[in-house]
Amino acid sequence: MSTGRTKNDHWHVSDDLAARYADGTLPEADAWSLESHVERCGGCAARVSGAVRRLPVPALALAEVREAVLNETRAREAVPQDVPAPVPPAPRARLWSSFLARALWAAGPAVRGGWLPAVVLVALGALGLAYGADVDGVRPLLLALAPVVPVAGVAVSYGRYADPLHEIAAATPSGGLRLALTRTAAVLGVSVPLLTVTGLLLPASGAPGAAAWLLPGLALTLASLALSGYVGCRTATAVTGGGWLAAVLAPVLASPGGTPVTRLAEQLSRCLDGAPAQGAWAAAAVLCAAVLAARRAAYDGLDRQ
Amino acid sequence: MSRPMSRPMNSGDREVSTIRVSGLRVRHRRTVALDAVDLDLGVGVHGLLGPNGAGKTSLIRMLATVARPDAGRVEILGEDVGEPARRGAVRARLGYLPQEFGHYPGFTVREFVAYVAWLKEMPVAGTAAAVERAVERVGLGDRIDAKLRTLSGGMVRRVGIAQAVVNDPDVLLLDEPTAGLDPEQRVELRALLRELGSTSTVIVSTHLVEDVAAACTEVTLLDEGRVAYRGTPESLGALGEAPGVGDSVIERGYTAALRAHRTGLEATR
Repeated sequence: MSTGRTKNDHWHVSDDLAARYADGTLPEADAWSLESHVERCGGCAARVSGAVRRLPVPALALAEVREAVLNETRAREAVPQDVPAPVPPAPRARLWSSFLARALWAAGPAVRGGWLPAVVLVALGALGLAYGADVDGVRPLLLALAPVVPVAGVAVSYGRYADPLHEIAAATPSGGLRLALTRTAAVLGVSVPLLTVTGLLLPASGAPGAAAWLLPGLALTLASLALSGYVGCRTATAVTGGGWLAAVLAPVLASPGGTPVTRLAEQLSRCLDGAPAQGAWAAAAVLCAAVLAARRAAYDGLDRQ
Repeated sequence: MSRPMSRPMNSGDREVSTIRVSGLRVRHRRTVALDAVDLDLGVGVHGLLGPNGAGKTSLIRMLATVARPDAGRVEILGEDVGEPARRGAVRARLGYLPQEFGHYPGFTVREFVAYVAWLKEMPVAGTAAAVERAVERVGLGDRIDAKLRTLSGGMVRRVGIAQAVVNDPDVLLLDEPTAGLDPEQRVELRALLRELGSTSTVIVSTHLVEDVAAACTEVTLLDEGRVAYRGTPESLGALGEAPGVGDSVIERGYTAALRAHRTGLEATR
């Protein structure tokens, strides 16, 4: 690991190199040697951290971590080893965003991987269709999709097939239900506000209110978790997510009369509107939570061979 | 199957056993991965040897409490891990490096090891220092803030060892830890294993007979799901004094022990 050390010190990071490192287009091997150089060279660390700071907003979350590393290096270089480094007061906003980034980071693969962009795409796509393309009946579509979103999030964040860390996690005390619930909470924490606010911004088109999907979404998510204690996470999420879509979309495709949009809106009203429907979803959520609590040992990771 | 070699080596072992396995049987579909395995293991470094498919990984997964045996009992640190209520306490004192382990490429070494420390429910206050110590122990101190995706295969393997030892486990299970390491790193790893083996029960499965000779205090040889031999590296080496297949004394001992086990089995059939 340290063989290139003396050789590396004969070069410095150019602005171009720093920019490519910052936006992530630098080949892995080059990024590697850049990082090891920057660990020892304050000037280059400053240049790279400047380049990282000039990034557009989406890349900033990733840049936080790099920034922290670079700051640490500079602080280490600037002061004698045993004197505690005077940390410059970080702006509150950056502190928060870094805390948030870390929480999401730890919460699981769903909020880091392909799922998060997919949720954002659903939200932006819905708004784009309604206001950009003037399509009617986007809210019913969003309401039909929304309860499946957290279920999909659970599917890609937990279990033997979805989580690369599963084998290690299964041997730890938290690898069972606690990890599944932490990741589910992260998934809900992202999808609930995003999709509800998107729903509020959409024209109603005869569909139920924008918050009507919350209880069904919660119930389906808990049902997925409860079911995964019996059949595994992958099958469970396929059953609950697929079941909801079938229940909502099948009658729309089968029954004649009216436009598909009005039929979808009617079907959703049957499933979501009114105290009895919402009460039933709430009862289902409570029931699933009870099953989860009663069967928590089943999530303990002991695979069936 | 009651060959004398599969018995505990002496009665003194019983008092200090940290792992007791009895009548362990594991099936994968139609093949039998482990059959009537009885083992008592105490503090020290135990080498788990055997041909491919002998059941080494199956045994380690049972001990890591990630898989359920079809029959038999696994007792770790005095607790029966078949009982869910007891498992959590045992798991907090385990370290486990799977043969193939996934990771999150976007994590830095520090974040990854800290994440596993969180999963092991370590007290938050000591975690940062424990993470640095574990990473230091596997010789990756200078890469602690590097992303996992930038590391070579051997380095990722060492990160895997770091996550396994971050909680100073009482029982450390390493499935092929030397795979992908260069000779120098293997030497360092053996030194680390010896150090850890002075206070905890370390179980190392390996293909490399010389790893066992250099690092282990005891050897268990598995063949087709059964314990074929138990002894020390020295006693295994002694079997290899006679001419046989293999380049070193211990390799010849390995093949001799396997052959003796197989002919013994045939004789009883």
